[in-house]
This record gives sequence, structure tokens and C-alpha cells, in this order.
Amino acid sequence: MNCKQAQQLFDAYIDGELSQALATELGAHRVRCNECRRALALLEVSGHILASGDDSASLSDGFEDRLLACVEKEASFGNRFRRVLYVAMPLAAAAVVALAFLGVFDRSQGHVLGEKQELVIDEADLDPILRALDMDDAGDELPGADAQAIELDQWGQRMQKNLQSFQDLTIYQWLDVLEKAKDTSGIEDHYPGADPLAEPEPAAEPPSRNTGNGGV
Amino acid sequence: MVATVSREYERQLIERARARETAALRELIDLHKDRLFAFIWRMIRHHHDAEEICQDAFLKAFSSLNSFSVDYRFSTWLFTIGYRICLNRLRSRRTGTADIDALALSPANGETPGSVAESREACELRSQVWLAVDRLSPPQRATVLLFYRHEMSCQQVARVLELPVATVKSHLHRARNRLREMLESLSEKDLHEYRSLSGLAG
Repeated sequence: MNCKQAQQLFDAYIDGELSQALATELGAHRVRCNECRRALALLEVSGHILASGDDSASLSDGFEDRLLACVEKEASFGNRFRRVLYVAMPLAAAAVVALAFLGVFDRSQGHVLGEKQELVIDEADLDPILRALDMDDAGDELPGADAQAIELDQWGQRMQKNLQSFQDLTIYQWLDVLEKAKDTSGIEDHYPGADPLAEPEPAAEPPSRNTGNGGV
Repeated sequence: MVATVSREYERQLIERARARETAALRELIDLHKDRLFAFIWRMIRHHHDAEEICQDAFLKAFSSLNSFSVDYRFSTWLFTIGYRICLNRLRSRRTGTADIDALALSPANGETPGSVAESREACELRSQVWLAVDRLSPPQRATVLLFYRHEMSCQQVARVLELPVATVKSHLHRARNRLREMLESLSEKDLHEYRSLSGLAG
């Protein structure tokens, strides 16, 4: 056996995987060859040291108790989250349907609100929902609230686009929306006395397009 | 150092842990925490991070207990989770040598040279070996630690590291060669002394 052949067998030799015959032959080579003897010795020593362990670091006191406390905390959060989810999801679904209905209905009617039937939805009422939808230009008031006429067609298109955003909300955003929506006083109060499903009175004259206030 | 509980007992323990029985969870932690921490610490080389990873590994394991198959050993699964977290942590580090514990760079502290096994030369040799391990790549380091320190077979190491057995053997081979190269400067005298006093055949 030469050194090259012997070196190929080092791993198997150290792991005790060589046949008896090969192990004997390698042992004999080891006796004759200083280089291979040293190489094997270094491998054996390093393996022995690694197997002996290294106790220079250990867990701090109380690790188990802290870990179990985390386990308990996660378990209770999971339960609370599930409870909120089962209550919040139906509310969320209802909110989506309501907003979609408002947006689509108005868009399909193509109505604009004239001066007298001013859209008085305060942004403050819908503020949490709008923020959740991340409407970039949701300013202090709904776009066009001050305008003489609002093009609900464009507003409805935005609503429809933002409905997609509803679906993309993370669950944490949903919970935030619904938490605040619970406190929101009735939006319907701001539709002046009218059933949103009812047809609005026709405008006296064609409204002028006004995009001066940021536009819808 | 292998798990000392039988497979059947471990299965029962896991069933109870799935039901969130605190005693079962505590026992699982107790059985595996020291070995897991030793492995993670040697991989990460930072005490605080290692504890954090150890905790995260247990939390992930407990939160996924329902998907754990009792056909496998819990320790294998736990080590796999710990290893994955270690790899993520190592990748997020900018430099490879950042945040290494100073403790790791010193020989066994507080030991008084008495018996030959505790001699200065032996301590020095141990330090050199562990420093050499620190310089291995993460997969090689993990292979060496699991194979030698945790007495896992190549098949078990392959399961933990989620690698083919042949790759594990290749890592082991390369790691051994690297360790041998790093210890090349060791004197014959020290080498011979250590071998003879450690009872290594020669």
C-alpha cells in the first residue's frame, strides 16, 4: 500500500468501517510511514478532543421557565386571535359588501351630487377605513367634498380599485380597521335622510366638472 | 450523548405536549436543551444569540408539534430547526468573525494544571482544535459537531442538515483535512503525549 492509497482510506479507518484485511494493511503502512502516521494521529486527536466536549458555555438560569412562559403567551395570543377572527371576519365581509355596494351603485347610476345634495361623508368617519386602504390622497376631507359637483363615477372607480386593496390587507390591518369601525358612528347619518338605494333627485343643471380640489 | 428515553416514551411525551401539558413540555425541554444549546453555541459563537436561537427553536418546534411525525426522533427535528435558524443568523451577519464570545478564544478557564489531561499542553491543544472548528464553513462545522460531539451517524447528520449522506461524508472528509492542516504545527512531543495519556491507540 502506498501513501496515496492509504490516505484514501483514512476516513473509513477512523470510523471503523474498513474490512479487517484493509485495516491491517493500513496499520502496517502506518508503522512504516512517518507522514501517514502523523496524519492519522492528528485526525484521531482532533476527533477525540471534539468528542470529549466543550463546556465553556451553558444556558443561563431560568431558561426553562422563560421558555415555558413564552409558550403560554403564544398559546393565549393564538386563542385570542382566533376569537377576534371569528367575530371580525363577518364584520369585515359586511363592510366590504356595503362599501362595494355604495361604490358600484353610484357609479352605475352615473349621478353626480349637486350642490344641494352635497356629499357630506366626513373623512373623519371613514378615516380609519381609508387609512387602512392606504388612499394616498385622502386628505382632510373626501376628495371633492368641497367641490360643487363630485363625479361619483370616478369615485366609484377608486372604490372598486380599493376593494382589491381590502383583500390585500394584512389581518392586523383588518383588525385595526374593524376596531375603529366599531366606534364609527353611523355613516348613514351623513346621507341626508335618504335611502342610498333610492334614486337621487335629478340635478337642476348639468354640473360643471371641477377637479380643482384634488379631484376624485 | 444521545437521547436517553425510549421511542415509545418519547411518543407519549409528544402526545401530551401536543395537548399543551406543561409537565410534558418541560420534560422535552429538559431532555434536549443542553445538547441543543451546545450545538447552537458552537455554531453561532455568541452566548446571548445562542440562547435566543435555542428558545426560538423550541418555540417553533412546539408550535408545529401537530405536523411532527413520531416516526422520527424529536431531537433530530429540533436540531434541524436550530440549524436552520443558525444559518439564517449567520447569513445576516456582515462579517464572519463578528460577535464571537471572548470566552471561546481562551483555553478552558479556571482549570488548574494537575493531571496530565489538564496540562497546559492539553489545554492549548484543545483550544487549537476548537479554534480550527470555528474556522470551518457552517455546514462543515455542523457536520463535525453533530458527528463527534453529539455522536450522530452520517445518516442522522444527513437528516438534521437535510443533505444527502454522500454530501455529509464529503463535509466530514474536508473538515477533517482542514483540522489536520490547522494542527500541522503541533509538535510531535505534544501530539505523542496527548495520545498516550488519552488512551488513543498508536
